[in-house]
Amino acid sequence: MPYFRDDEARSIIRETYGRVSSESAAVAEAFYPPEDLEGLPRAAVDLALGVGHPVRHAALRPGETVLDLGCDAGIDTLLAAQAVGSSGKAIGLDMTREMVGRARRNAAAAGLGNVEIREGLMEEIPLSDASVDVVVSNGVLNLSTRKSRVLAETARVLRLGGRVSIADLVLDQALPEDVLKSPAALAG
Amino acid sequence: MGFDGIEVVERKALGLGDLTRYPLFAPEFIDFLRRIMPPQRHAQLVFSIVVTARKPDSPSPTDHSHDP
Repeated sequence: MPYFRDDEARSIIRETYGRVSSESAAVAEAFYPPEDLEGLPRAAVDLALGVGHPVRHAALRPGETVLDLGCDAGIDTLLAAQAVGSSGKAIGLDMTREMVGRARRNAAAAGLGNVEIREGLMEEIPLSDASVDVVVSNGVLNLSTRKSRVLAETARVLRLGGRVSIADLVLDQALPEDVLKSPAALAG
Repeated sequence: MGFDGIEVVERKALGLGDLTRYPLFAPEFIDFLRRIMPPQRHAQLVFSIVVTARKPDSPSPTDHSHDP
């Protein structure tokens, strides 16, 4: 049973991610090797909020177009942009306006001209059918109250033979109802 | 619509100590979890996984996702 309506969940997530700040690289250092973090803007590294390193498993090739669902401040979008090179493109999508602004500033600070950051919902991806080669996502799918819709949208925007690499959280035992009802748990 | 070759390529337990790295969680929420979760789960609250998959090279006969 869902504990939050779609609009409630989005509001909580936007508010939480909009105000989050960090001056620590603790999350990034837990998941990314130092050589991947070198050269990235500190603001992107400090606001890594993911739960893995999906770009490492995406086997990106020069020239490919990559979509990062829920890009936050852009760490995975920037790593994808580096991997696909100037002949490719990395598109970051996020529904939180503050994160879109941060990701755009971080892409500019990184000097990457092959990055596009869009504001939008992963349940309604603002891209045309079969327009990307790879979709990555990092700790974001669990935030959606319509996960199957996100996966359907992912399949829609992927070209035939396209790939996905998704890092996220799963449970092997249920959480207590008091945790499931908590807005803090939802946003995390 | 569907994916082929679905594979879990990484799986790692995350506990309360890992959650403290995230600026998303206030100390009060971590304390709440510490109180409400059984001690044996403190080191293994959730699992982070990385899943890879592939969209098939050709549409399945039942795939209408690209119909106008």
